[in-house]
Amino acid sequence: MTTETPVAAPTARRATPPARKEGGVLSKRRGAVATTIMAVLALIWLFPLFWALINSFREYDYTQANGYLSFGGWTTSNYEDAWSRGNFGLHMRNSLLITIPAVLLTLWLSSMVAFVLARFSYRFNLTLLGVFLAANLLPPQALLIPVFRMFREIPLPYFMSDSGSMLNSFWALILVNTAFQMGFCTFVLSNYMKTLPHEIYESAELDGASVWRQYWQLTMPLVRPALAALATLQVTWVYNEFFWATVLIQQGDKLPVTSALNNLRGQFFTDTNLVAAGSIIVALPVLVVFFALQKQFVSGLTLGSTKG
Amino acid sequence: MSLSRSSAIPRSALTTMAASRRSVLRGMALSGLAVGGANMLAACGGDSGGPATGSGATVKFGINEAEGSGAAYDRLKAIGDAYAKESGTKVALNAVDHNTFQESISTYLQGTPDDVFTWFAGFRMAQFAENGLITDLSDQWPIDGLNDSFKQASTAPDGKQYFVPISYYPWAVFYRKSVWEKNGWTPPETNDDFMALMDEMKGKGVTPFAFGDKDGWPAMGTFDILNMRLNGFDFHMSLMAGDEQWDGDEVKLVFDTWRKLLPYHQEDPLGRTWQEAATAMGKGECGMYLLGTFVVDALGENGDDLDFFTFPELDSSIGADALDAPIDGFCVAAAGKNQEAGKAMAKWLGSAAAADAGNDAADAPFIAANSGASTSTYSDLQKKSAEVVGAAANIAQFMDRDTNADFANTVMIPSIQDFLKNPDDIDGITASIQEQASSIFG
Repeated sequence: MTTETPVAAPTARRATPPARKEGGVLSKRRGAVATTIMAVLALIWLFPLFWALINSFREYDYTQANGYLSFGGWTTSNYEDAWSRGNFGLHMRNSLLITIPAVLLTLWLSSMVAFVLARFSYRFNLTLLGVFLAANLLPPQALLIPVFRMFREIPLPYFMSDSGSMLNSFWALILVNTAFQMGFCTFVLSNYMKTLPHEIYESAELDGASVWRQYWQLTMPLVRPALAALATLQVTWVYNEFFWATVLIQQGDKLPVTSALNNLRGQFFTDTNLVAAGSIIVALPVLVVFFALQKQFVSGLTLGSTKG
Repeated sequence: MSLSRSSAIPRSALTTMAASRRSVLRGMALSGLAVGGANMLAACGGDSGGPATGSGATVKFGINEAEGSGAAYDRLKAIGDAYAKESGTKVALNAVDHNTFQESISTYLQGTPDDVFTWFAGFRMAQFAENGLITDLSDQWPIDGLNDSFKQASTAPDGKQYFVPISYYPWAVFYRKSVWEKNGWTPPETNDDFMALMDEMKGKGVTPFAFGDKDGWPAMGTFDILNMRLNGFDFHMSLMAGDEQWDGDEVKLVFDTWRKLLPYHQEDPLGRTWQEAATAMGKGECGMYLLGTFVVDALGENGDDLDFFTFPELDSSIGADALDAPIDGFCVAAAGKNQEAGKAMAKWLGSAAAADAGNDAADAPFIAANSGASTSTYSDLQKKSAEVVGAAANIAQFMDRDTNADFANTVMIPSIQDFLKNPDDIDGITASIQEQASSIFG
């Protein structure tokens, strides 16, 4: 086996280029056109971000007097101001306290649902998956008033929430985010789990592994790429979540960092360069997570796709 | 506890209809629960036990300026601190940025609001009063140093006070002193002076009026002042209350006058924020700018080279004695847990001591409502503001405070912007406003 593969590979490689030239995937000319189009699209897409980045390093007075097309007025004070005025240290911590539990809870619960849906045949399997997906398609705005009223009526002890109810507490945001993200995660994980060979479970069954053990010690390690990919996505989504935070949190010092970005706007006056600096600071953690886990993300998405 | 919460908070606060029978029942439920509710809360072991005011008590103070957002926050924080020092009551500050606070006010008041919170006088306060979301403060009035016009501004249609004012600022026509001196221009008194001045500015290559309406609300100030100058204050207020026709001749006259004045304004206002317009005035590209005194914020200076005059009269039978001067102040939330402490603090917030605490902490282009407040820290602009507002016979609050918030934001902002895009279609725009107004005001 091991000696055969290196031999087989070159022949396969040699065979591929002619196939391409005959107009299979991408010819050289088409490739160039595609690259140009993609480069232009990427530039158009990145331009506002670069624009914000550049102007976040410029003084407001300078850009206001000379216009944004000018060049000069460089400073880093926007970043210092944004960090201290926006009180980002506190709000980053709030975001962390919401995002990490929410992502862990989502992955844990949805992997359990997905395991059952993928491994056991019940009559309602498909219906159940359908319900999870349908809930995922429901716009959160439609549930705003019911969720708000429900949370208002749920009492919490004062050591858990100083408002005495679910409103104004991190618990509310963790639960809401978990609920809204579970549909998607369950769908992806159950599809992924269906691709695991059935024989593994038969042997596990023969060796006397309980259902819990099949889930925790067999399935979970095997779906790690999918979990990593989902974790990346979920961190981004929950961290960026804005809607529920503004609705359910009314206490300024409990807002997550995305909502706290508004702190940089005044009642009348807005220093746009300062807001640009603040936005870059808020976007950084997501970019770091994304680039750090990029490999997992790509492999996680493609691993499942090649199999039925 | 959940029981007391559910009955104390109106279920249909989002709807604008006022059901008098229900508000009576609600009032009974509220007063009945005030005693029992306090015991139940104390039994929960929360922080609401202990005395309602004085040492050991806590009052929650919600403010619409984010921590570190500058002078406005510093002023409110100083006011809270001064109250804590004077009364011994602990003040728990909840600072939320201005726009978020305003946009989520409905959920805030129906959820777990603070006892006292910053708000505005006018229709928007009255709407909450009608819905039972804010507490009747008539037992705290009169307050020393607040005259009848402020009491009037704090009164809801039911005749009771629900609001305590602290400060206000006028909308007027601002200009650079140095630019005007150089050109020998003086504030116009009559309509003829006004037109002659604008023509002269145009002749010298200066755009008479700076103008920006990208955010939608600044042009409301122009509508307000034109309406008050052309149709009078009383018509303006009943128009705002939904009692007049928006497609009538009066409103058409306002838009028509505005259309004739537009050539004297900066072009393409929809692509310009008020800050950019203010900069144009500051640089001398434009002669003057109709805005609130907060215009100094955008110029990045102390305002020594700024002066202003009230918008001149357009119709001599109506005169020029009305203007927009929005009043800021405080309300007590009906769902706040410590009603007694909230009311006591609200009363103090109307005092001269509260105004002084704010003025001493940081400069802002506002003037204290209380006549006993010290004016020693006032800048020239503030002194003149006090003078101009004091001389005005009638004071409006600004369109988005004088009328239904939904109407102002979802109908008037796009309608005025449509008008600025296409000033010739006045009939179409007024008809569309009227159609939407009749569905909102019923």
